Amino acid sequence: MTVGERKAIRLAMLEIKDLHVAVDGKEILKGLTLSIAAGQVHAIMGPNGSGKSTLSYVLAGRAGYDITSGSIAYNGEDLAALKPEERAAKGVFLAMQYPVEIPGVTTLTFLKTALNAQRRARGEKEVDAMTVLKTVRKRAAALKVSEEMLKRALNVGFSGGEKKRLEILQMSLFEPKLAILDETDSGLDIDALKLVAEGVNTLRSPERAMLVITHYQRLLDYIVPDRIHVLAKGRIVAEGGKELAHELEAKGYEHIVGKAA
Amino acid sequence: MNAPATWLDERRAEAANRFAALGVPHRRIEDWKYSDLKTAIGDAVNDAVGMWTVGDVENGPPLDVDYSYFDMNASPDNLPEWVRVNLGVLPQNAMSSASFASARACIAIRVPRGKAVAHPVPLRVEGGGTGRVLVVLEEGASLTLQETIKAVGLVNAGVEIVIGANAQLTHIRNAPQTDAVQVEEYSIRVARDGVYRAHLFNGGAKLSRAEFQIALAGANAQAHLSGVSVLGDGAHADVTTHITHAVAHTTSTQLFKHVAGGKSRAVYQGRITVEQGADKSDSRQTAKALLMGVRAEADLKPELEICADDVKCAHGAAVGDLDPNSLFYLRARGIPEAEARNMLVRAFLEEAVNEITDETIRETIWREVEKALPRAMLP
Repeated sequence: MTVGERKAIRLAMLEIKDLHVAVDGKEILKGLTLSIAAGQVHAIMGPNGSGKSTLSYVLAGRAGYDITSGSIAYNGEDLAALKPEERAAKGVFLAMQYPVEIPGVTTLTFLKTALNAQRRARGEKEVDAMTVLKTVRKRAAALKVSEEMLKRALNVGFSGGEKKRLEILQMSLFEPKLAILDETDSGLDIDALKLVAEGVNTLRSPERAMLVITHYQRLLDYIVPDRIHVLAKGRIVAEGGKELAHELEAKGYEHIVGKAA
Repeated sequence: MNAPATWLDERRAEAANRFAALGVPHRRIEDWKYSDLKTAIGDAVNDAVGMWTVGDVENGPPLDVDYSYFDMNASPDNLPEWVRVNLGVLPQNAMSSASFASARACIAIRVPRGKAVAHPVPLRVEGGGTGRVLVVLEEGASLTLQETIKAVGLVNAGVEIVIGANAQLTHIRNAPQTDAVQVEEYSIRVARDGVYRAHLFNGGAKLSRAEFQIALAGANAQAHLSGVSVLGDGAHADVTTHITHAVAHTTSTQLFKHVAGGKSRAVYQGRITVEQGADKSDSRQTAKALLMGVRAEADLKPELEICADDVKCAHGAAVGDLDPNSLFYLRARGIPEAEARNMLVRAFLEEAVNEITDETIRETIWREVEKALPRAMLP
């Protein structure tokens, strides 16, 4: 076996098998299977109500999303057995569609607390406020996150674009192994979208896998995926390369979803 | 032959009659619905004297205020004029009438005209008993009064505060957790351009009632109240306020935050009265409570009585649990659940604690909050 072959058969970082998920007793994901290797960027596209956000929440460990059957392996470990904070410490990051506003907690304090909580959980040394500030500043500039934003309460009074940029700033600070981006393009104008996409592209690396969830092809013009999966009614109904996004854009979801049915 | 009744005897006799007519309040009286004092103490009110002090215990009363500590049963002939003019004059509720009628110990403090007292003056209420406090700020005077209550048994305190024109009082009231029954009425009158600020910390008691009767009696008079109650186990804390906007151009703000765990009970009743002619009055009140378990209870009751036309009054009250979205967000960023809950509870309280502008005092109050939180966080 050559080195090249060994690489080709390495274990996927994320291995979802026949996943069924119910919310309030209603089945939303109905047998989803997906596999992403380190270094790859996969996109999930799908119409509203297809189960995109459910997938992102179940990966991050939100309460109320019940796995009724199937499995999620993350680096060979059962992801479902881990608490949300344990997943984060092990390198799972979800950039949320609707980042939460938390009055009374300044953004910088939050970043420091979260970073150190993750480091502590991994048995790494905590970093002091000054080091966090320096690290954050360096990364914030590229994402046009101002010093003033960092001093404000977390996401309070931030515009839609500012919230999304802060999500990407966190991703850049926490350096996750698996990043899930849930509709990061929603609510962004084209300039903000380009800025966010640039931030994401900077973070592409052979050690990192990304799952980009979106309704529209537009984002995938800027974050070009290695593979696209089409989600409809809780299942992957079509898969392909980056050109699939344009086919969807031209012909609509009905065309693909209908063909698969 | 009986000695002729003095001014003090007369005022106290009136108070005794008021109390005789009203009796110890109980839950069938609307204002005391959430604080059944009669069940807690029966009809007993006593004249025991607690260890009440003003100023440093070591250094005695502060030199930069006028100070008088006297026995109300003794002859009042030697009392200063400012005590005679002000003592027992402001409105009294039932329990305040009882304390005025039966207390022996009275502490009186005056800041003379134009004087700004630089350092906070401590007022300590320790032990049990009945007592009176009179605070008089003359025109243009300013003072920070830092009250600490360590109650044992039953405390019934009546506090009168007279704020003269353009005078400013900042009143800190620190009441850490106790198993006692503590009842206090603060009756406050603010003259034109005067400012009364109160910042409260309640750790709760077997029954704790802090009642503020505030009259904004002159143009541009202001009252700003804020407070936090951090309660666990079976603690009870009732903050009841009644602010009367008696004349035009008066302002009041209130911000109260409560965290209730165990089977504790947090009460806020806030009545605002805007009297006829008190146009351009501005009042805002907010009370919020976080319940940490199903057995905890919060009763928040803002009330408005508006008899003027051109006024701004805003009020809001909300009782809830920690926001699950916020909790998930913090956990998804790696912050363990207990730490995330702590962050959110602190953030909830911070807005009210931050109303305290003096950094040293703010830190003192935060330390009380930190001490009380672990119990309050338990369901």
